[in-house]
Amino acid sequence: MSKVYITGLGLITSIGNDLAGITRSLRELRHGFEVYPPFDKPDVPVKVVGTIKDFSVDSSDPEDWVFPKRYSIKREILRGLAPNSLFAYCSMLQAIEDARLSPEDVANPQTGLYAASGGSPFLTHHYHERMLKVGVMRTSPLGIVASIAGTLNFNLVAHFKILGASCGFSSACASSMHALGFAHEEIRTGRQQRMFVVGAEDCNTDSILPFAGMRALSLQTDPSLASRPFDVARDGFVGTGGGAVVVLESEEEVARRGVRPYAEVAGWGQASDGYNVAISHPDGVGLHLAMKLALKDSGYAPEEVDYVNAHATSTPIGDASEIKALKAVFKTPGARPAISGTKALTGHGLSLSGAMETAFCAVALREGFMPGSAHISQLDPLCEGLNILRTTVSEAPKVVLNNSSGFGGANVCTVLKQAK
Amino acid sequence: MAEDVHKNTEVNGSKQPFPTSAKSFSAEDEAALTEVLKRCSPATIEAAVKFRKTGDPLPVPTVVIGIIERFAEPDQRARLRGADDDLRLIEDLGIDSLTMMEIVILVEDALQMSINNDELRNLRTLGDIKIFIDCKVRGLPPPKPSRFLPIEHIGAVMPIQPPFLFLNEATIGSTSASAKYKITGDEFFLKGHFKDNPVMPASIMLEAIGQLAVLFLIEGGHGEEGKQADPQTIYFTGCEGVRAHRVCKPGDTLTISIKPKRLKMPLATIEGQIRVGQEKAVYVEEITLTYGFREAIVQPAPAAVPASALPKAVHSLPAAAARVITPATA
Repeated sequence: MSKVYITGLGLITSIGNDLAGITRSLRELRHGFEVYPPFDKPDVPVKVVGTIKDFSVDSSDPEDWVFPKRYSIKREILRGLAPNSLFAYCSMLQAIEDARLSPEDVANPQTGLYAASGGSPFLTHHYHERMLKVGVMRTSPLGIVASIAGTLNFNLVAHFKILGASCGFSSACASSMHALGFAHEEIRTGRQQRMFVVGAEDCNTDSILPFAGMRALSLQTDPSLASRPFDVARDGFVGTGGGAVVVLESEEEVARRGVRPYAEVAGWGQASDGYNVAISHPDGVGLHLAMKLALKDSGYAPEEVDYVNAHATSTPIGDASEIKALKAVFKTPGARPAISGTKALTGHGLSLSGAMETAFCAVALREGFMPGSAHISQLDPLCEGLNILRTTVSEAPKVVLNNSSGFGGANVCTVLKQAK
Repeated sequence: MAEDVHKNTEVNGSKQPFPTSAKSFSAEDEAALTEVLKRCSPATIEAAVKFRKTGDPLPVPTVVIGIIERFAEPDQRARLRGADDDLRLIEDLGIDSLTMMEIVILVEDALQMSINNDELRNLRTLGDIKIFIDCKVRGLPPPKPSRFLPIEHIGAVMPIQPPFLFLNEATIGSTSASAKYKITGDEFFLKGHFKDNPVMPASIMLEAIGQLAVLFLIEGGHGEEGKQADPQTIYFTGCEGVRAHRVCKPGDTLTISIKPKRLKMPLATIEGQIRVGQEKAVYVEEITLTYGFREAIVQPAPAAVPASALPKAVHSLPAAAARVITPATA
């Protein structure tokens, strides 16, 4: 079975739109939160969002959008995009450049693309409203492909001329981690030589505010207090969007192209809670099992794990479940990995988060540091016995575990290791 | 056959022609119209406002061309300015079927009319669109759509046959026709014209223009409903004002186009030209043919009338236009 390496990254996130900026934010624990002007209304109790800077995509007409000059996108492509597919498109360009892939490396039957996004509720709303207002036959011919959940795979596969495996994953906040796991499988089993793993979400009222109904969002008005996983006073997650692309390649391709990988994807595992449609199991049963399976798949014992990038969204219930699951996995003596939640800096990117945090772990492995868990002023006593990192440590982890959980109790974990 | 197509259009055509009596056009309507057309030229917006205010169809072509221009890739826009009516949207401007729909939706929005799929499929050239929209705003039935004829059809109806047939494909409209012929280099006369220097004879290029005129007559271009030009009666009688501008050689694709000037049995006078790409090759002020009608039209058409004997699919537009109704493999 082939080893699988991460050879390229592309990111548009609340904490930066390029690798250098994001690495600095992770090291220095700079968050990407702002008081979000559209939430500045008396009837909206949520105020803070992990905003995407240098992109202005509030219009329903893509030709109004403003984005950095380095991305030149023809109208023909733009008209089929939603904000999340624009973020993904830009991330894709970055990742191709970062991995130093030629057009032939991208477009061949051995290269595929797995993607995850929640679609664009914003554009769906707009097109439905237009349909009702001006008539069925006067909605944009590309309204559907721009707005439904498959928008990433439709657009990216067509525009980057992907010829290998492609599909979308839908397991809410675990989606792009599922995409990563199955992409890993494609390469490990020799079905594909290279896979693009893409996660993206809109970052606007329609993508974030519906979570207020289930009381999942933080009501904090102070951007530096809103997202604080593992803090006793955490009160919900902060919404964000953006795009992340992770390039996976077989060892054969890494050798052929002579590139230096960020990390190796050593294995992965998944398990479900079988408990509640929207609430994680109080003991983190599914996450516990997923972590165990991922470690088994990669051949590591719990005590060999140096760093855990927790799912840790900063919700009271979700973090508690994960803390219990972590305690259950790392109960053996000597198993004391550093644990942090980078959503304290970025906010929760929903479908995007698995791919985004995999990219963060890859950066940490290559650059030799472990990002701290920001904004903790009083650690939740439940964390007793766990090594929650409060500040960034300039120490290179060798083995990293990355957690992701989604609605319905879907849990996916991956194990990354230092590339030799 | 031509009648079939026409009937079909009438049956499926828009049931709600644009009301010629202009409704009151408020300041809000004008603001909305300006917003809808915000990426079009000021002249386009001005023309649309004028039309919506007065119901006068005169500014309509400006609106339609302005909307097409807004959707064309920037490097293609120059071709649209001052383009003749033969300019094809899909083949020449690179506008795909989805963009065609975007154009239609914006035209509908700007002019407050509705265009259905059947009508959309028949619009192939700039001229088709201008005439169609003009009929639409005047509340007239849409014109006979232009029809694409592949070589199989041309070969079946023409009295002229290879190796002396110089039309590879043709598009026949109600007031014009165009065709293409690629000079292969295998034409028998090129061996001697000239020695070691194959050049398409100007006389043969005139012949090609004449052949397109013959096809136009056979396909009903004479304009007399219920009558059919008899291929066995069509002959050349004269030509005037011939000018050749460009040497044409093997590898060149000739774009032949004609427009009728006078049509009254037994004489048809047309104006014609040949281009290679955008370059003018031959122009002829007048070619006159003589023709006669068939004695009577037998119905239903038996095999004796070759045009009607062909399968219906032959007369439909090519794949590019058919894609309009099925844009995606959803």
